[in-house]
Amino acid sequence: MQRALIFKVIFVVALIVIAVASMLPTFQLNNLQDQETAMTARLIDLSGLNRSDVEVGITSGELEGQVRKSATPANRDAALRIADDLIKLNARITKVQGKAIRRGLDLQGGTYLVYEIDLKQYLSENAKNRDARLDDILTASQREYEQKGTDFFKALQENFSNRDVKLSRYFGRRGQTDDEILVDLKKLSKDAVDRTLQVLRNRVDQFGVSEPSITPQGTSRILIELPGIQNIERAKKVIGTTALLEFKLVKDPEIVWSVLNDIDKVLRAKRQGLEVPSAKPDTSVKTGDKATEKQLSLNELFGDKSANATSEEDTSVVVDQTTFEEKPFTSLLRGLPGRYSDVVSVPSQNIRAVQRTLQLPEVQAIIPSDVQLLWGTRQVAMGDQSFQRLYVVKKEAELLGSMLSNADVNIDGSSTSLRAGQAEVHMELNPEGTKTFAKVTGMNVGKQLAIVLDGRVESAPNIKEKIPSGSARIDGMGSMEEAQDLALVLRAGALPAPVKVLQEDTVGPSLGQDSINKGQTSALIGLAIVMIFVIIYYNLVGLVADFALVLNGLFVMAIMAGFGFTLTMPGIAGFILSVAMAIDSNVLINERIREELRGGKTTRAAIEQGYSRALITILDSNITTLITGAVLYTFGTGSVKGFAVTLCIGILVSMFTAIYVTRLILDIATVRFGVKKLSI
Amino acid sequence: MEFFKKTNIDFIGMRKITYAFSIISFVLAVIFLIINGGPNYGIDFTGGTSLQLKFTVPTEPGQIRSAISGAGFGDAEIKNLGEKVNNTFIIRIAQMGEEAKTGGMVLEQLNSKLADHPYEILSVTEIGPKIGGELRKGALYSILVALIGMLVYISWRFEFKFAVGAVIALFHDVVFVLGIYTLLGLEMSLTALAAFLTIVGYSINDTIVVYDRIRENLKLMRRESLATIMNLSVNQTLSRTLLTGVSTLVVLLVLIFAGGEVIHGFALALFIGTVIGTYSSVFVASVLVLDWQLYLDRKKQAKTAARAAR
Repeated sequence: MQRALIFKVIFVVALIVIAVASMLPTFQLNNLQDQETAMTARLIDLSGLNRSDVEVGITSGELEGQVRKSATPANRDAALRIADDLIKLNARITKVQGKAIRRGLDLQGGTYLVYEIDLKQYLSENAKNRDARLDDILTASQREYEQKGTDFFKALQENFSNRDVKLSRYFGRRGQTDDEILVDLKKLSKDAVDRTLQVLRNRVDQFGVSEPSITPQGTSRILIELPGIQNIERAKKVIGTTALLEFKLVKDPEIVWSVLNDIDKVLRAKRQGLEVPSAKPDTSVKTGDKATEKQLSLNELFGDKSANATSEEDTSVVVDQTTFEEKPFTSLLRGLPGRYSDVVSVPSQNIRAVQRTLQLPEVQAIIPSDVQLLWGTRQVAMGDQSFQRLYVVKKEAELLGSMLSNADVNIDGSSTSLRAGQAEVHMELNPEGTKTFAKVTGMNVGKQLAIVLDGRVESAPNIKEKIPSGSARIDGMGSMEEAQDLALVLRAGALPAPVKVLQEDTVGPSLGQDSINKGQTSALIGLAIVMIFVIIYYNLVGLVADFALVLNGLFVMAIMAGFGFTLTMPGIAGFILSVAMAIDSNVLINERIREELRGGKTTRAAIEQGYSRALITILDSNITTLITGAVLYTFGTGSVKGFAVTLCIGILVSMFTAIYVTRLILDIATVRFGVKKLSI
Repeated sequence: MEFFKKTNIDFIGMRKITYAFSIISFVLAVIFLIINGGPNYGIDFTGGTSLQLKFTVPTEPGQIRSAISGAGFGDAEIKNLGEKVNNTFIIRIAQMGEEAKTGGMVLEQLNSKLADHPYEILSVTEIGPKIGGELRKGALYSILVALIGMLVYISWRFEFKFAVGAVIALFHDVVFVLGIYTLLGLEMSLTALAAFLTIVGYSINDTIVVYDRIRENLKLMRRESLATIMNLSVNQTLSRTLLTGVSTLVVLLVLIFAGGEVIHGFALALFIGTVIGTYSSVFVASVLVLDWQLYLDRKKQAKTAARAAR
C-alpha cells in the first residue's frame, strides 16, 4: 500500500512539473508584452514616429532607418538604443509566442475574415469557349450554391443536364466523359484554393502580422485570422486584390479610330428610326475649350424609351454637340488620339454611359477579337473636370506578372521630373521575362506599353528604346502606402481566381483587453469566494478539494498551451462549466463520506465507500456532458467548437484532479500519517 | 459546517403546484417567443453588419445617422452602448449585398463626414446572409445530435423513461431561459449560444445526480413506493444540490455585477439557467418519470383487475 502510494505521488508530482513547464512561456509572454508596450511608448515619445510605423518597422526591419530619419538629433542615440532593444525583444516574443496559450481574436483583438473563391468566374476563365449559355449555367449554379447550399459542382452538373448541354462542350479534352471532366474540374478548383492559400499566406506574411492563421474550409472558402491588426481596410485591400499583372501593347491611333468609328456606327443605327428628342434638351450649355457641350439623358443617348435605367444616379451626360448626331459615341469622349493627346479620356459624368455602351451586345460584336478596351486606374483632373482614361489595347498580353522576380518602392529622385518625390513601384523581371521584355520593347519602339493590373491600366509609358535590363516601373502612385501595398501584392503573386469577403469580424484591442481584464478579475473573485466557502464547509478536506481545483486550472491551461488549442470567450464559458462540475465532484464525494461517517463507518472505510459510490454518479454525469461536448466539437463551428474543447478538456482533467488526486491525498493522510479522524 | 443534517421535505407532494408553474411558464415563454417572432437573432445568425465605436468627443446618434445616411444607411439602428457619457455606440445594419463591404463603407462615411469626431474601433462584425443561415443551421443540428446522444446514454445507464424525463427537462429549461432572455431584449449571438449550451450542461449534470441517487435507492429499498424513494433521494442530495448551486450562483453573481458589458447578458442567462436547471431536475425530470411509472402501474392494475373480474 505504502509503496503504491509513493509511485502515485511521484506520478502526480511529475505531471505538475510538466504542466508548470508548459505554462512558463505563457507567463513569460505576458511579462515580455508588458515590457514591449512600455518600450514602444518610450520610442514613440523619443522618435516622433507613430505606433503603426513602429510596428511595421519592426517586422520589415526598417525601424532603425525610420528612427534615424525622424528623431531629433538630441534624442537620436537614445531612440536608436531603444529601437535596437525593441527589435531583440520582439524576436524573443515571437519565439515564446509559439509555446504560449493561443488567445482567440475575441480575447486579444484582431480580424477574422472569411473569403470565398469565385468559382463561377474561375471556371468561366478556364472554359474552352465562353458564351451566353455557359454564363447562364454558371450563374444558375452559383445561385443554387449560395441560396440553397447545394454543392457547387452538383448544381453545375444538374444545370448542364437540365439544359441538355454536354460539359465537354466547354471543358475538358476530347473523348473525356462528363463525369471525368467533372472530376477534373473539382481538381482544378481544389488546385485554385491551394494556390490562393499560398498567395494569401505570402501576402499576409509580408504584411507583418504575428501569428496569422490561414486555413481552407470546404470546397471554396478560406478563413484568415489576423491577430492584433490595426488598419483593417488596408489589410482587406491587400488580401483581396487579385493582382493579375499583364503588360499589353496599346493599339496604334488608326486602329483606335476605326474601333471608335465602328461603335459610332452601331450606336447611330440604334438611334435611327427613333424620333428626335422633341423637347429641346435641357441645354445648360457648357463652354468647353474645344466645342459646345450639352447635357443629355442616357435614354436619349441610347434612343431608349423603355427607360429602366432612370433610377441610376446622375444619368445626364455631356456630349460634344457638333459631333453628337454624327458620332454619338465619340462625342462622349475627350482628348482623342492624334488630336489633343495620345489616349482617350472620358469625363467622369460620362463614364457610366460609356460603360453601358461597351456592354451592349451589338457593340461587343463589332470590337475586333484581338482588341480590348480597358479603363485606367485613377481619375485625372484637368481644369475643373476629372477624367478617366480609356485604353484600346491588344488583348493578348506580352508579358505576365508571373515573370516578375521582385517589386519594390522607389521615390522618384529626378528633381526635374513632374513626378519628383512621388512614389513609384519598381519591378524586376526574371531571366525569361527580361528576354521577352527586351524583345517586345525592341520591336515596338514608339508605341505605348500598358501595365495592366486586374483589368485596369496602371500606366502606359511610351517605349523610347529597347530595354534589355528587365526592369519596369509603375509611376504616379497616389501615396507611399499605396505603392508599398502594390509592391507587396506583386511580390506575393496573383490569385488564380477572384475572391470575395463573406464575413468579417474585427475586435478592437481595447475591447479584447477590457473584456479579459474584467472577466478575469470577476471570475477570480467569484472563484475565491467559492474556495473559501468550501474550506469553511469541509474544513481540511475542503482545502484538499481547493488544491485539486487549482491543479485542475493549471492542467487545463497547460494542455491548451501544449496542444496549441485556442482560448476564446465561449471557451472560457466551457471552462467555467467544467470548474463547476469539478467542484460538484468533490461536493458529491465529501457528502458521501459524511454520510458514511454518520452511518458509523471508520475513516478508512468511509473514504473507500464515499469515493466508490460517488464515482458512479460523477462518471454518469460527466460522460453525459462529454457526449454533448464531443458532438458539439464534431458538428459545431467556430465558437461552439471553442466551447466544446475547453469543456471536454476540463471534464477529463477534473476527473483526474477531483477524484484521483484528492483520493491520493486522503490516502496519504490516513495510511501514511495514520490520521484517525477526518477533518470534514 | 453543514446546512442540513437530515431533512424530510415532501418535494414530490408539491408536484401539482410545480407542474402548474412549469406548464404556465413554459407556455408563456413559447407564446412570447411566437409573438416576438423567435429570439432576437443577432447578426451572427441573420447576416448583417454591426459596428461598435467609441468616439473620443461627445457625439449624438443623430450625427452618426446623418453622416452615414449618405451611403444609404439611414435606416441603421444606432444605440448608445452603456452610459451615454462613454460616447460608445453600436451601429447595426441589415446586410445589403452578398459581399461583406458595408463596415468599410460606414467607416469611410464617418471619416469623411464626421472627421472632427475621431473614434476607436471596438469591434466590426460583418456576416454575409449565407454564413448567417449556415451558422443557425449548424448550431441547431449539433444541439439535436447532442440531445439524441444524451437520450441514448441515459437510456442505457438508467431507463428510457429517465432519458425522456431528462430531455424534456432540458427543453423546458432552454425555452424558459430563452423566453426571459428575449423578454429582456438580449440578443441571440454566438456567445449567447455558448451560454445556452452551458445551461444544458449544468442542467443535465444536476439531473443525473438526482437520478443516480434514485437508481441507487431503488436497489436498496425494493419495497418502498417510487414516490417515497424519490423524496428520500432528493432530500439526501439536497445539501449537495444547494452547495453546488450556490457556489455556481456566487461566481455568476460576481460576473453579472463586475464582469463587464460583454459577458453581462451571458452571465445573466447562466444565472437564470442554473436556478431553473436545478429546479427542473426534481420538478420536471424526476416527477415526469414518477407519473409515467404511476400511469403504467394503473394500466397494469386495471388489466389485472379486469382479468380478475372475468
